[in-house]
Amino acid sequence: MTDIGGGAVSAGLDEGPLIELAMDPKAARPPESPSPGRRRRRMWPGVLGAYVGMIAAIITLNFFLPRFMPGDPITALVSRGSSTFVYGEASKTKLKEFYGLNGSLPSQFGHYLNRLAHGDLGRSISTNQSVVHDVAKAIPWTLLLITTSMLLSAGIGLVLGVHAGWRRDKPADRVLMTGLLSAREFPQYLLGSMLLFFFAVKLGWLPIGGAETAFSSDFSLWHRITDIARHAALPIIVLTAGLTVSYYLVMRSGMVDELGSDYLMLGRAKGLRNRRLKYRYAARNALVPVLSLTAVEIGFAVTANIIIEQVFSYPGLGGLLLGSVASRDYPTMQGAFLVLSVGIVTVNAIADLTYRRFDPRATG
Amino acid sequence: MTATITEAVPAPADPAPASEPERTPPSPVRALLFSPLMVIGMTLITILVLTALFAPLLAPYNPRAVTGPPLQLPSARHWLGTDIPGRDNLSQLIYGTRTSAVAAVVGSSLALLFGILLGVLPTLLGGFTDRAANRVAVFMLALPMFPLLIMIAALAGKSDTVVLVVVITAGIWPNARILRSKTLGLRDAGFITAARGFGGGRLYVLRRHLLPGMGPLLMVRWVEWASTAVALSAGLAFLGLVDPSSSSWGLMINRATTQQGIYFSPMWPWWALPPGFAVLFTILSFLFVGIALEPVFNPRWRRSA
Repeated sequence: MTDIGGGAVSAGLDEGPLIELAMDPKAARPPESPSPGRRRRRMWPGVLGAYVGMIAAIITLNFFLPRFMPGDPITALVSRGSSTFVYGEASKTKLKEFYGLNGSLPSQFGHYLNRLAHGDLGRSISTNQSVVHDVAKAIPWTLLLITTSMLLSAGIGLVLGVHAGWRRDKPADRVLMTGLLSAREFPQYLLGSMLLFFFAVKLGWLPIGGAETAFSSDFSLWHRITDIARHAALPIIVLTAGLTVSYYLVMRSGMVDELGSDYLMLGRAKGLRNRRLKYRYAARNALVPVLSLTAVEIGFAVTANIIIEQVFSYPGLGGLLLGSVASRDYPTMQGAFLVLSVGIVTVNAIADLTYRRFDPRATG
Repeated sequence: MTATITEAVPAPADPAPASEPERTPPSPVRALLFSPLMVIGMTLITILVLTALFAPLLAPYNPRAVTGPPLQLPSARHWLGTDIPGRDNLSQLIYGTRTSAVAAVVGSSLALLFGILLGVLPTLLGGFTDRAANRVAVFMLALPMFPLLIMIAALAGKSDTVVLVVVITAGIWPNARILRSKTLGLRDAGFITAARGFGGGRLYVLRRHLLPGMGPLLMVRWVEWASTAVALSAGLAFLGLVDPSSSSWGLMINRATTQQGIYFSPMWPWWALPPGFAVLFTILSFLFVGIALEPVFNPRWRRSA
């Protein structure tokens, strides 16, 4: 798993790598420079092997976690307090059979793997739909929020970062940096509910929650698009705010780092225009550490997204996960977790491969 | 209130500007004491700790007792009003300080301790132990932590201890990784080789040379992780994964935001915003101390900032 290393230093829980990257982009690169030819050929199998191992681990965790935790799903399901209270031992046994909870642990695991291979994640307890159906309904919403926010924040953060790094206003830097790092710490539920209160309640400009108006399938296409955009606006703003900061900081320090380089001096001596030097030369090289930030950013985005979906009662994967936690809907919980985790790990593996392509020094 | 804090951060307290490297920098301790970030951070932390310690004296009511009509606006009797069953919001806020203080102190200390156990000791032993420990750490880091934490907290039952354990579990791995790379750097340093050459045992070297050498890093890591632990435990509480009868800021926000149509009540800002800002200021206080500590110990910061 050393292979997913590089940028995947944290799942968004740790500020260390961001601060490190923001202060010294070279920290992202491993110090030793191995013989490039051999290592590069080994890159693909290494990353892929690590990826497959990761997925296998997630699947295994997903199976064993609920089984090794105190309290078992069936007890929770049939207890007197629950909405799905079941009376009688016979129905309990039947229920166990239905959810594949009878038999020895290895045979259950085999059963689970077999169903997974057929794309079957079980049946939701609260909606009585297949979990795959519920998850498939939630994925587009989460993708909408995360992709839009990542693109927006990368755009804004990189442009501002290139500019700020090129100019390097020294005295303002520490203050600005502290301010920005603080802004990134702003809890999403606080920012989210404040925006919600202001824009949706006080001003009434935007809807208060959800992803679309009920029965909006009758709307015209344009009406539907604006409807969805209006619902997504606030969640995207909250998510983008935090992400932009990291892009800005890392890009800025990457630029500052490139400024003293010989190739820029040569370019200047050749009489290249400033614009060309800034964007085509310095910014391109400064982009490499930004790429290694992706893993941190994805982790941050998913974490923030779960909280944001809760604030705005957005029907994405985070909402599905939390809703299933609240209603003790184990199959949905496991399904949402599986899809969410596999998604994160996949994006990280892709980012890792891209990063290695751009910076062949990054191995090991 | 955020604005005042950001504005109050004055010009950099950087003792040695990069342009004149020949000037000898003043002592790190002096630089620390005069750093405004440090002062702000430590003041806030002191307030937090004192509030947590003296919560029963400060709180006007029992945070769990219904002491008035529900959803009252602030008044002389209830400075921050009351929540839905009619509990005093201020008392809940004051008692909630304890949960955050415990998360910061216990969560961060244990995460660091286990980080040392998994990051420093195996590295010193070297060989297979080191490789295995490192693999585990890297693997754990690549796992999608937050969804996993939600799963664990949900499956293990709603309890504050579970949340604390979960927060510690998340903190071990980044700490182990960072401490490992520091140990690797130190292990081959000249003075360590010399100490070993003079017959110093592993434990002796660890106690007398390695840990003191890592002191600054440990301090920074502790502060940084304290801030993350507060954020994380408040986040999990906000998602409703803690004991519903406990008092914590995250839980207050959870209750204040999950009530149907609560945003339309004039009471809402008094209920949901104070705990939110309490979380924010607690996170920021540790973050500020961390940022203030960093340049003193980490010369890289001096160069680029």
